[in-house]
Amino acid sequence: MSKTEGSASADVIPGEWRIRYNYSVGKVAGAFFDGLRHGRILASHCSKSGLSYLPPRAYCERSFAPCDGWTEAGETGVIEAATIVTAAFEGLPPPPYAIAYVRLDNVSTAMLNFVRGLDLADVPAAAKRLEPGARVKVVFAERREGRVTDFHYELV
Amino acid sequence: MRAQRNVAVVGVGETGFRTHHADLTYVELAQQATLAALDHAGMTPDDIDAVVFSMAPTQFAGVNDSDKWAVDSIFGAGRPLMRINTGGATGGSAFQAGYSHIASGLYRTVLVVGADRVAETPDTQHILNLIWDRFYERDFALNTVTMTALAAQRYMSRYGAREEDFAEVVVRARRKAARNPNAHLKAATTVGEVMASPRVSWPHKRADICPRSSGAAAVVLCDEETARKSKRARPAWVNGCAAITHSVFMGDRVGFWSDTEFADHDGFVLAAQTAYRRAGVVDPAREIDVAEIYDPFSSFLFPQLESLGFCGRGAAACLHGEGAFDGDGGIVAANPSGGTLCTNPIGVTGLVRAADAALQIMGEAGAMQIKGARKAVATAIGGSTQFFTCIVLGDDSN
Amino acid sequence: MAVYVLGMAVHPPSSRIADKRLEEMVFDVSRAALDDAHVERNELEHVTIAGSDELDGRSIASMLLAMPAGAYLKDEIKCTDSGLTGLCLGAMRMTSGFGDLGVVVSWCKNSTSDFDNVTASRAEPFYLRPIGMNDAIANGLFANALTHDEGITEDEATASVLAYRANAARNPRAIPRPLASPQELRDGPYVAAPLRKGHQAPLTDGAAAFVLATEAWLAKHPGAAPYARIAGLGWSVDSYALGRTRLSALGSFRKSVDAALARADATLDDIDVVELDAQTGFHAAAYARALDGLACEPTAPSGGPFAQNPLFCTGLVHAAEAVLQVSGKAGPIQAPGARLALAHGCYGYAQQANAVALFAGV
Repeated sequence: MSKTEGSASADVIPGEWRIRYNYSVGKVAGAFFDGLRHGRILASHCSKSGLSYLPPRAYCERSFAPCDGWTEAGETGVIEAATIVTAAFEGLPPPPYAIAYVRLDNVSTAMLNFVRGLDLADVPAAAKRLEPGARVKVVFAERREGRVTDFHYELV
Repeated sequence: MRAQRNVAVVGVGETGFRTHHADLTYVELAQQATLAALDHAGMTPDDIDAVVFSMAPTQFAGVNDSDKWAVDSIFGAGRPLMRINTGGATGGSAFQAGYSHIASGLYRTVLVVGADRVAETPDTQHILNLIWDRFYERDFALNTVTMTALAAQRYMSRYGAREEDFAEVVVRARRKAARNPNAHLKAATTVGEVMASPRVSWPHKRADICPRSSGAAAVVLCDEETARKSKRARPAWVNGCAAITHSVFMGDRVGFWSDTEFADHDGFVLAAQTAYRRAGVVDPAREIDVAEIYDPFSSFLFPQLESLGFCGRGAAACLHGEGAFDGDGGIVAANPSGGTLCTNPIGVTGLVRAADAALQIMGEAGAMQIKGARKAVATAIGGSTQFFTCIVLGDDSN
Repeated sequence: MAVYVLGMAVHPPSSRIADKRLEEMVFDVSRAALDDAHVERNELEHVTIAGSDELDGRSIASMLLAMPAGAYLKDEIKCTDSGLTGLCLGAMRMTSGFGDLGVVVSWCKNSTSDFDNVTASRAEPFYLRPIGMNDAIANGLFANALTHDEGITEDEATASVLAYRANAARNPRAIPRPLASPQELRDGPYVAAPLRKGHQAPLTDGAAAFVLATEAWLAKHPGAAPYARIAGLGWSVDSYALGRTRLSALGSFRKSVDAALARADATLDDIDVVELDAQTGFHAAAYARALDGLACEPTAPSGGPFAQNPLFCTGLVHAAEAVLQVSGKAGPIQAPGARLALAHGCYGYAQQANAVALFAGV
């Protein structure tokens, strides 16, 4: 079919949405973020299942009961999974950087955070050092804001 | 309570998949697939009792509740319609919802249809970052790429798989996709090329990752009476389907205290066992001929083949390299369509997996046809590798 | 379809539930429904959830919200149309081999959503968006069409609102609000003429969960005491394009009601209570007229959306009220001897889609 004569209109219409949200912090996150400000990582604990969770949450998925206590996480832990990001993604930190799921001592689940202080120039070599089982320690920022970025991991 | 009715696929429609369909709107794409599926089934819109719409996050295509907009284009006005959204697993879940419409005894003929235009926005990965928890995870550059990289890294560490093994998956997928007229990426490639492609998030490189596809798919499901009267000499019967959902917190799915193992696409084995039990499949490696696996990353194939019972944990990489999953009398023909690595229109990908599997059973898969295919399994995965669906199709209604 | 309501819970409603994250709300209502049904989560065989990502402020909200709904290592599915649609889907899963005990959960936290922006983004970009469309404007067009085709006046819409609000005032489960005067409603600003602000049911935060059991499950648990049986279900969608006929004909509403009645093998005059999703006074008046042959009052005894309106799942809340009626547990607003109750939900632009559930006493 031939193009219509004189069709000057574009073949796309641009659009953009900016949708705003206000997320309620809720009962549990507030306590966790306060803990971070004081240099403590608090995991929520469920007495029914005996599990301690990071990130903290209001209820235990397995016993389906409210979490009824807090456990302070240890200062060291073990890497469960990690990756080194080398591509630039919009809205995300400039590469390269490493992130890892770490199961801190005293806690049943692993929590994500940046792994810093590692030479990332040779990516496969760095990946080897971040293999599951590697031990890391928690390092807190000097100035803390009550956000998960108040701490990070470093290889022991 | 068992299903009240047997359900069959009697019509399949897919558009070609590519980055942009510059000449069609979203609803026109859905219409194309609908018309193709109806035609294939030898039916008209009047034969359809109910519609299930398959659509995942609408932020890619840019219109919320796009199913409501699509109503007129898919001949849905005046009919019962609902839309399913389980992230990447949506197409598989929508198929299962359509199945329920009929198996429950409520409806006889159901159209399951959807469309997606993942590249309608340049902000795809930004949107995929938004699926992560605002408080605990979004700050860490979690998106689908980094999330699955973590699982791949863990799998490699546990079983000794290498980047080259994953690269081999890409090579074979492209070879198969070359026979698929609808596939998005079909260009042949080599392990060397995959390894040399830009690194994204270790171990993923650009070539290990699916394209952003636009396209639509539809299937017509019906009850036994309608299937026997239909145009299809060999309908694809839904022998069993099941799903399992896991925690969003990946950190809960690793380590000593976890019930399941994230690197193994944990939990999926539960869905597979249930689907097999419902289908009367006892020995998948012997009984299943085709597996259409949801694999947007090259690292997805091995854990799923293992969870589906085609080989032992950690054994898939080696067997794959030996050609055991290429059809030709191996263990099972994995992704004769080229799979999700070659085509990923997120909101309908799971439906495409089921549609491609159905065509195999019907004997209408063209150049992709696996000879004598009598039973097939189709999978879909969504969320943080969190929602798993498993559908078993066969050439008889058991 | 022998599916029963074994337990249910409606989250305490509020204009703004400020102290809980969304998933905490969902957990609380799901836990409460399980407790109400006297079952444990590990007995559930499947989970059906209903929610809108855009209203929840997350892509794939079920990633976070499936678990609090009880879906950990369960067969779970999500629909995005409405809470009442979720009930329809959940009920179908009960009798299609997914299991004999399931839960249906839905929620909506309007206080934290950018509602107008979200509903505006449901407009297709070519013909509607450049002009501007959202829920309120669509309802204005709806009201306009009703004025011309059904002769529904603003006064009638106002009177409907007052009736619903009076009912809400008698409902112990409603959000307490001072009664408005007719003058207040009449003098309030137009939102999209002839729809005035006072005609609209205010949006609130809420959630609801239902535990469903099949006859087979009940046979194995003789001590269980279900509230009600699902006698019939019907849902339907209308054309997306808004034209006069589409607006005033109430096609999908009529189809949904008819389908539910057919499944229940009942007629309109068998119904003792209707819990209608009267999002505006115009909706209320239009539905009342469409239900020609209804023996009972065409006004929701609970006050409908004017009691609480967690929009996405308001229909499911109406279902809870309907179940309370046929089980004799509706309290001060109990319709004496209610045996068959209708619950309704509408969604999409100008009630493009509707869902109806009929509950029978056991």
